[in-house]
Amino acid sequence: MPDKALADIDFTKYGRWLRRLTGTDYEMAVCNASGAPVWHSHAAGDLPAWLQQLVAHGFRWHCSGDGMQRHDADDATLLYAPIHCQTGALGFVTVRAEGTSTVPAAWDTLAETLEDVCAGIVAEHAMKSELNAMADELSERYEELHLVYAIDRQVRAMKPGGDLFESLLKSWAVQMNADVAAFVKPGDNLCVSATNLSSPIHNLDLVLVEMRGDLFRFANSSRQPIVINELADPRRAYIFTDLPFKILCCPVLDEKAVVAILVLVNHVTKPDFTNSDRKLGELLANQLSSLSRMYGMLAETNTFNEQMAASLIEAVEAKDPYTRGHSERVHHIAMQIGGAMKLPAQELDNLFWGSLLHDVGKIGIPDAVLCKPARLTRDEFTFIMVHPERSYEILRHIDRLKGAMPGARHHQEKFDGSGYPHGLAGNDIPLNARIIAVADTYDSITSSRAYRAGRSHEAALLEIERCAGTQLDPAIVAVFREICLTEPEWLQRFSIQREAVAPAAQQQRAAGD
Amino acid sequence: MKPRKVLIVDDEPHVIRVLRLTLEREGYRVETANDGNEALEKMAGYAPDVLISDIQMDGMDGRTLCRTARRRYPLRSFLILVMTSMTAMDERDWVRELSDIEFLEKPLSPRQLVARLARYCFAPPGDLEIDHAG
Repeated sequence: MPDKALADIDFTKYGRWLRRLTGTDYEMAVCNASGAPVWHSHAAGDLPAWLQQLVAHGFRWHCSGDGMQRHDADDATLLYAPIHCQTGALGFVTVRAEGTSTVPAAWDTLAETLEDVCAGIVAEHAMKSELNAMADELSERYEELHLVYAIDRQVRAMKPGGDLFESLLKSWAVQMNADVAAFVKPGDNLCVSATNLSSPIHNLDLVLVEMRGDLFRFANSSRQPIVINELADPRRAYIFTDLPFKILCCPVLDEKAVVAILVLVNHVTKPDFTNSDRKLGELLANQLSSLSRMYGMLAETNTFNEQMAASLIEAVEAKDPYTRGHSERVHHIAMQIGGAMKLPAQELDNLFWGSLLHDVGKIGIPDAVLCKPARLTRDEFTFIMVHPERSYEILRHIDRLKGAMPGARHHQEKFDGSGYPHGLAGNDIPLNARIIAVADTYDSITSSRAYRAGRSHEAALLEIERCAGTQLDPAIVAVFREICLTEPEWLQRFSIQREAVAPAAQQQRAAGD
Repeated sequence: MKPRKVLIVDDEPHVIRVLRLTLEREGYRVETANDGNEALEKMAGYAPDVLISDIQMDGMDGRTLCRTARRRYPLRSFLILVMTSMTAMDERDWVRELSDIEFLEKPLSPRQLVARLARYCFAPPGDLEIDHAG
């Protein structure tokens, strides 16, 4: 490397400098630390060849002190000065002069000028080295920024449920030009990997097992980044034994405990993992870890929501064993309808909770009314009519369910305006409520009640068709009809009774397919 | 193998310095230019294997440079890499009309640039043999 140190300096100006200060057109050459000429002033001159000849004949660039040195050869005298920088000699500035036994007066100026030239070269070299070091530093910053931007872009573009971790690892493997990237976080039950293979790894599954197992345990006890480039590394007695790959492993620390590791694996033919790789690895490992923590909290919140809803539903359904599973079934069918109508995500979310919790208000209906196995009196029916409003009163305490409330509150409205609680008609009834009404009607017909057995899918469909335009929104009934033509999966799931389908109808359907 | 020639065009000296240093270490012969005009002047006497250009530059911008370079040298085969910020997605449109051109996202990853150039310039020897045979 020192021999390349002078490669990017333009010496022409030093040649001019020497000529002007001494007033003599000396033939000048600059040699590197090994004594090989890297530049000379007179393109046609033979100074480089002469110098090489001197070296070949045993000239060893002897220097006493930092000043101008003299070497008398047979045909001429070589005057030279060492270019000294802090790390040692960079090379020599040389001038050829007529052979003489005395010391001409002009050599005083020449000696001073050579010293100045050397100092100038040293300063320029120092400046160039500094610039290069800064460029290196800048290069690492570019690399980091590029990575951070890429993570940011991917996190922002992520779709719910999309495999963010895998895509982040994939792009990281590509950016780092690594064969395998993996993230292991046992606490969040997370172990993701991505490959960017430069050549096949036949035992990739073993490599992944090793990461999850021994490598994680090793990182867990060392709590240090692990970089293993050499095949002879003694740590291979414990980790990646018989797996001849280079590895970089960055632990993520939380309160001094290792909670996750990020690993890069490379074929041995790839360059060694460096310090800057390690820094980038730590950056990404921390990002992934906090993302994973966020995901964990999100999942926990979702589970909590669902479990709270399940408890509420349990409380309602405990009052009337005949309605067991009703909320879940209405919810399932309503979501099928909503999906077929391609509702936007927010509306689907509202439908999700509205349909699941639509009957929560039944908690307020006395058991004697709710479970009465006979026709209700007018007063008793008044209790029943209150329940959608009760559902609303119960759910309004939950901000998260603001959008879901209209669906629950108005699911007993009828399309012709004869329903309750508000007697809304047509499109004044919230869309989600109209969807829940169809699903609710279907389930009331097909499930058993205290006072009657459940009826068949076909009977329910007929009844729903009959109510289209009066009780139910015909547009949603049409969507429901389309879904039923596909023999939906819920028929099995909810064990819905079927009527023997007439052979003619079956044939018709077969022909229709 | 003969060193591959790369022409870097950017009006930001720090970008040029970082890229030049990175690529010279990888054994490429690097020429630089500060804008499209200077780049075209260099290309008159020098056929790079890869042209790396910024888009926004005083003087001739990258768009004009790439179009002109392709039109002026239809027989030379060289890869064009255009550097653009990650947010300027609309820049993706104009390059469709040019052949053999790709994007590099700024801030540039020197590492990715090296990997990309290696794939382009030093395909595995086997592939090169096939290329020559074909």
